[in-house]
Amino acid sequence: MTAPSPARYRRGVAALAALTLAASATACTNSTADQDTVRVGLLVSLSGTYTTVGEDMQRGFKLYLDTHGGQLGGRTVELVVGDEGDGPATAVPAAQKLLERDQVVALTGLVGGATVDKVQTLTTDRKIPLIGANARPAFAPVGGKPRDLSYTWHTSYNSDEPGIAIASYIKSQVGDGTVYAIGPDYQGGWDELRGFTDTFTKLGGKLANPDGKATFTPFPATENFLPYLNKAAEAKPKAVYTFYAGAAAVGFVKQYRQSDLKDVPLYAAGFLTEGSVLTAQGAAATGIHNVLNYSPTLGNAANQDFVAAWSAKHSGQPTTFAMASYDAAAVLDRALAAVDGEVTGPKLNEAIGKVGRVVSPRGDWQFHPTEHRPVQRWYLREVKPDGPVLSNVLVQDLTTLPTT
Amino acid sequence: MRVDAYLMSAVDGIAYGLLLAIAAAGLTVSFGAGGVLNLAHGTLIALGGYVAAAISTGTWASLAAAVALATVAGAAGGGVLAAATARLRGRRGHLDQALLTLGIALIGADLLTIAFGPDVLRPQLPTALDGTATVAGHRYPVDRLAVLGIAVLIAAAGYVVLHHTRAGRLVWATVDDRAMVAGIGVNPAVVDATVLVAAGALAGVAGALTTPILGVGPGTAETTLLLSLVIVVCGGLGSVPGAVIAAVGVGVVQTVGVIAVPALAPYLLIAAMAVVLLARVSPLQGEVGS
Amino acid sequence: MSAFTHARTSDRIRLLLRRVLPWSAPVLAALGIAAVVAWPDTYLHATAARMFPLALLAVSVCVVTGHAGLPTLGQVAPYAAGAYTTAHLALHGVADAALHLLAAAAAGAMVAALVGVVLARYRGTVVLMLSLAVAELTTITASQWRTVSGGTDGLAGIPAPRLLPGLPPLLDDRAVLLYAAAVAATATAVAMRLLGGNRQLLLSAVRGNEARAAASGHRVTTYLWVVHAGAGAVAGIGGALLIHTHRWITPADVGFTSAALALLAVVIGGTASLPGAVVGAVMVLGVRDVVAVDLPGHAPLLLGALFVAAVYLLPGGLTALPARLRRSLRVLRPPANGPDTTAPHMSRRTS
Repeated sequence: MTAPSPARYRRGVAALAALTLAASATACTNSTADQDTVRVGLLVSLSGTYTTVGEDMQRGFKLYLDTHGGQLGGRTVELVVGDEGDGPATAVPAAQKLLERDQVVALTGLVGGATVDKVQTLTTDRKIPLIGANARPAFAPVGGKPRDLSYTWHTSYNSDEPGIAIASYIKSQVGDGTVYAIGPDYQGGWDELRGFTDTFTKLGGKLANPDGKATFTPFPATENFLPYLNKAAEAKPKAVYTFYAGAAAVGFVKQYRQSDLKDVPLYAAGFLTEGSVLTAQGAAATGIHNVLNYSPTLGNAANQDFVAAWSAKHSGQPTTFAMASYDAAAVLDRALAAVDGEVTGPKLNEAIGKVGRVVSPRGDWQFHPTEHRPVQRWYLREVKPDGPVLSNVLVQDLTTLPTT
Repeated sequence: MRVDAYLMSAVDGIAYGLLLAIAAAGLTVSFGAGGVLNLAHGTLIALGGYVAAAISTGTWASLAAAVALATVAGAAGGGVLAAATARLRGRRGHLDQALLTLGIALIGADLLTIAFGPDVLRPQLPTALDGTATVAGHRYPVDRLAVLGIAVLIAAAGYVVLHHTRAGRLVWATVDDRAMVAGIGVNPAVVDATVLVAAGALAGVAGALTTPILGVGPGTAETTLLLSLVIVVCGGLGSVPGAVIAAVGVGVVQTVGVIAVPALAPYLLIAAMAVVLLARVSPLQGEVGS
Repeated sequence: MSAFTHARTSDRIRLLLRRVLPWSAPVLAALGIAAVVAWPDTYLHATAARMFPLALLAVSVCVVTGHAGLPTLGQVAPYAAGAYTTAHLALHGVADAALHLLAAAAAGAMVAALVGVVLARYRGTVVLMLSLAVAELTTITASQWRTVSGGTDGLAGIPAPRLLPGLPPLLDDRAVLLYAAAVAATATAVAMRLLGGNRQLLLSAVRGNEARAAASGHRVTTYLWVVHAGAGAVAGIGGALLIHTHRWITPADVGFTSAALALLAVVIGGTASLPGAVVGAVMVLGVRDVVAVDLPGHAPLLLGALFVAAVYLLPGGLTALPARLRRSLRVLRPPANGPDTTAPHMSRRTS
């Protein structure tokens, strides 16, 4: 045990002073805003496994703000950022702080499906619109009653849509051959794979997997995919369909090219090669055909502006994550412009329901009237060099979803 | 055909296991010989991995520099841990060490993300290492073969140093009886610090060697720490041959096991650890050891 | 500032502290909760209420680690049992809070009794690693058993409980906070009472020298098994509170992270002190969920800083703090006292 010294007390005083400063800094950010200023909450992963996606979404939203003079709908926007972390345990306290302490008029961002599932109940209780820009889970009914989704909107997609969109294309490519389906063992993986396998088998396609069901690898524990891939090769599939994201996507693609499956065509939900993972995968990703609602090589004017603005600020190409978050800002821009006087949750929510056609880098889209997610085009992309860098280059349009 | 596939997976399991053995080596040394339950071990591996990924550009020279600098970075990290834990030594339990090293791990992980960004990084390898070789009619990655060779070298060197040199004997003696070591004119605190620096260097090497195969990102520290803990505990603390056998066992379970009984894949690793522990240790025993 | 001023001020503080310290913990806790309840900020109420489930998990871990001497990460298993039992009762229309708590305690005790059959037979590091396996298996089972857990995304929108039939559902943030604090305080007090007196002597004898305790006819493993199961009941109640305060659950909430946070909270609290464990848990979650919201993305950094600071500034944990403060203030008084005889009550080394 050391004897206490004046130095220790000084350290204590310094720590106290630092705390006081931090507290007063917080107090300043909480000052109430005037009529022409609205506070918008952005909740994304800034720590943990999904930080890359979270930062992309933050950049996308801020890019829209920066290119529109920091205003949405003629009102100055004060953006309050919260950290979603790895899921609800950290995300819900952060969401509650944004909703109650910062009194935001809308909440956007949200990387993970589990987070959306929990935060959605908070925003609905408080009649604050939630404009999710990434995962949209299935919203399982509670106690037999369907969930109230009137305040829940997404500028992204349902997790099963990529698989639904690409199934008929893959069927046309493999003919009577079989497809091996493999993905990570969690809700996102189940949804992504189900979208493909259900649609594919309905079209008469056959899976190469031994039991006729998709294979799931422990997530996030699996780093070594070789045994799975070599086992899949034994089934002699005509093609492989997969969904992985983040670190697992890098490992999967690298090892695919080192396995006995090397020359079997690989199809995937576009997240497999989206954004920074593509840089880490490098040449191993070349030739992968994948499906997504966006490609940086789309030719429309909105996308050209978007890509130019993005490239002026950030290295690399914009992703679907950044684009969906950018669109969330665009939706808020139009909705806020339509609100007269003081902005409240119900007024803003009603305005969101009436934004109509949204001009977007992905091509124009609008909200499905009851599903509250975009009715949008899905694209087939191929990983190949676009100038000096690898990119997900547009091959063709696939389909528009949802169809009803 | 079936047997052949399992054989291939078994070979991969051994290679993957030896890769894990390198990752666990530093923890084996710091826990077994240094007496420190180092939960920052995974963070040191991630540090080595990030350094290697940043430096290696695809040439042999840069690869050598990457491995060397990753080792130095790991050793420096080990030095930080040695300084941090020195004050606790002998007076506080393993739980206090766990609290301290986990705190350092969390801080380190945040600093690494600030320095290297949140993306998953992977070093560029020389083309000779980046391809595949054909082994018994199957493709096999050359980088894993190379790592397999290096792992055998490191394990052999570690065994010789710890079990057949004066330095190694001093380490064991310090674990057993600090006063006696001090009596022969060696400062036990220096031995402790040296062990932690060496363990850090091993973690740095491990990071550099595993990054080309597994990549390095925000999740690396946690995954490698868990695998290393499993290996160290199953292998018997501080025993180099034990750790290697345990690592190969884990590797085989994670390759042959997951395809042989896919329904149990999520449970296999942790269930295997529990079974090995229960089989090796008789009830009422407090420490795993030889 | 000069050391002289310090000495004079500290003199006065010292006298005050002497009288106040023994009462400080419960009084401060009660005052703290009262202040939070009185403060007109629902965010604060909800945030504070959400800390009690982990606090009870920490109490449970403290009983097993600090009193039975088995360092454990495995109490998330009974915690999960209590939580999922409560969730399914609520989802199937059983709204009575007392019933939830009883069922959760029973489920927790049962699971802990099962796990304890193995764990209570081992000691030290082996227990720690076996219980790590228990924690991992809990979360994996929860993820895989989709009909019970709702899969990896978990369950949301679980109906709120009712304190008494006929009363409205427990939804108001302030009411939830008061309810959670009352349940946690009661469970902790009961656990302290059950661990007092002869039982405390017996358990500390076992920890001190197990061979001697066994030689004098005590069935040590059986005692530890009973304590483990009893602690499981506390963890089960913590699980019920998790549902009552959050009204959602994911498998990650009953996994390694929660187990580690609870164990670290116990170490910060002083290893053998149940109120210390509660305060430790509040500190951990306070840093992660309150302080860190103003530094988005750096919650792990702040949590790490808390752990490092706790090790250096609070040797022996919070429970050793009063003794250390008294001693520090005495040393400041010139001339220095004689040999230091009042070594603070140090928590036992656990391995």
